[in-house]
Amino acid sequence: MIPVQLASFFTAAALILIGIIGVFFIDNLIKKVIALSFISDGVNLFLVTLGYKPGGIVYIYMPGMSSSWFAQNASYPLPFALVLTSIVIGASTLAVMLAIIIILYHRHGSLSSKILED
Amino acid sequence: MIEYLIMIIIILGAILALVQRDLLKAAILTGVPGASMAFLYQFLLAPDVALTQAIVGSAIIPVFFALAVYKTRRMEE
Amino acid sequence: MKSLIALMVILPILCGLLLNLLHKKDRTIKILALTVAIILPIIPLIASYGAYYFGGYPPIAENPTIAEYLPAYITRSYLVKFHPAITYIFNSAQRIFIFILGIVAFLAIFTSLNEVKKPSGVYSFLMFMATAAVTAIVLADDIFNLYVFFEIAAISQAGIILSSNIKGSYKMALRYLFLGGVAAPMLLLGVALLLGAIGNVNISDMIFAMRNGLIDQGNPIFLTAAGLIIFGWLYGSGLPPFHTIKSGLYSKALPHAASLIQAFSVFTLVALGIIILRLFYYIPVVRWAIIIFSIAGMALGISMAIMQTDFKRLIGFLAVGELGYIGIGLGLGTTMSITAGLFQAVNEALVTACLFLGFGTILYQTGISEIDKLGGLLKYRPGVAGLMILAGFIMAGIPPFNVFQSKLMLIESAISAGFPELAIIMILLSIVTFMTFMKAYYSIYLKPEPRGLEVKAERIPSSTIFSMIILLVICTILGILPQLATSQFGSIIHGLL
Repeated sequence: MIPVQLASFFTAAALILIGIIGVFFIDNLIKKVIALSFISDGVNLFLVTLGYKPGGIVYIYMPGMSSSWFAQNASYPLPFALVLTSIVIGASTLAVMLAIIIILYHRHGSLSSKILED
Repeated sequence: MIEYLIMIIIILGAILALVQRDLLKAAILTGVPGASMAFLYQFLLAPDVALTQAIVGSAIIPVFFALAVYKTRRMEE
Repeated sequence: MKSLIALMVILPILCGLLLNLLHKKDRTIKILALTVAIILPIIPLIASYGAYYFGGYPPIAENPTIAEYLPAYITRSYLVKFHPAITYIFNSAQRIFIFILGIVAFLAIFTSLNEVKKPSGVYSFLMFMATAAVTAIVLADDIFNLYVFFEIAAISQAGIILSSNIKGSYKMALRYLFLGGVAAPMLLLGVALLLGAIGNVNISDMIFAMRNGLIDQGNPIFLTAAGLIIFGWLYGSGLPPFHTIKSGLYSKALPHAASLIQAFSVFTLVALGIIILRLFYYIPVVRWAIIIFSIAGMALGISMAIMQTDFKRLIGFLAVGELGYIGIGLGLGTTMSITAGLFQAVNEALVTACLFLGFGTILYQTGISEIDKLGGLLKYRPGVAGLMILAGFIMAGIPPFNVFQSKLMLIESAISAGFPELAIIMILLSIVTFMTFMKAYYSIYLKPEPRGLEVKAERIPSSTIFSMIILLVICTILGILPQLATSQFGSIIHGLL
């Protein structure tokens, strides 16, 4: 059985791939946005997996732990801090895109990506 | 062991969401990978990210999509 | 005065948020926006050089009070040199970039406040927000912070397009956001790979770790990361394969917004390009990729400009084509070529802004952007026509103006680096650029006036003409005294080579 970290990397890669394929080969605009959200989810998962430590503990320093033991066993929190920002940015971009799609639908009466062509 | 199960659910959920013809179903199905990812983050020792992802990924983003579908059309043409 | 460095980013964000609160109070909005816009180019002039640490956490080596409490295995390791805080670096090169960006932003906001009937609304907010984001991209020494502002810049630019109310602007903004939705995660993936390999997101620390043998430089992860970051760089700057979308973006924006957006592309190209060079200078493929994409950008941009019948599209493609010169300067990688490339970036931001404002006056007078339907505009506003031909000459590189100086330096550096072919390509494309511009200029201003062309009697706002004159004056000053700019780039190039 492959280790959790490696499997998680593969999951992230699969999500990114599914997203990219979806963006380029699906005609419906809302589904394109769904695919874009999978790409950013995949990248977030990749970042979180970087901070994971097999057999480690959550990076919260409790009283009674020795600092060197904590340093050796805790997961690495920097990527997690980045992911928090990235999740929020992704959600807000998505909201802007969906708002534009709703307006375009009311103008053209279609959700096909053909309406994006001039 | 449960981690692997969650990973499979994430990938299957993503594929299922993209092959739906009913856009409302697709919108709801985006919540499946979103919520499973929150669990996966918990197993990957990132509880704070898991909290954020649980709210954003399993509630806010599917609701956004559902609202967009509600304001446009339900079936893909 | 180190806190002024953070103020360069914070002030426009705060001002933008405040403008949103003051909805409908047009007079207050005008005064506030103008005051902050004037302050924007002044701050970099009075701020002192140095590094700003957010939260006030310098590296442990510079902070002996913390170092006392740390065990010896940390204080004796390289960790003491690493930056724990988000770091902004402000030096002479950053000063001139932010000054020019501030000038262009000020003139664009000044013109827009006078041309747009209702100044309240999100329009000036978005312009301030994007200015802040690009300033942060220029300043940031932290690659994740750079990614965050890269996204903010992309969303704000899409927002500027949305609020322009030009036909087709929604489609263009959505297409731009879709491409951004692919390119920005790729940039983040590149950042993640670097973070995984090195364990920090500070660019100076990454370079320190790579150059001092803490990490194996030959690791293929670095090549992959370079590829992904270059992909984001192409999106941000509008080089191929994103040249069509970027020029479309310029053409769907109001003219003053277009003059600002092209400055954003130029400075994003420069800032990210320098970071790519700093990180991956030792990989020859990276520099070749930069040169090849730049040449493709020049060739595609200019050859597509020839085919356009709409002058907004035409000038958009010419602006993309000119970006290639900067990229070639960076990619050649000698002291002289990088100086020339950075100087070209400064010049191009100024000249193209002036051209966009000038073409905006035509749109203001007639409301038509198809070249064939226009003609004989010379007799209505000969002054603006004179300024336009001057801007065209400057862009083509006629002495004694600034673009001549930078293109000459670029050509010389290409020859001395052993690539005379590049020099020939640059000269040829420069001539084609000039001819394309002259053809459009002839049919808009000199050709006999077609029947049925309605020219509004309304005067062009004097603020537009004032902005154009200011930009051209700066161009002339830089042309006569190029060392004003070129002597400033030493700090960046010293760190590169």
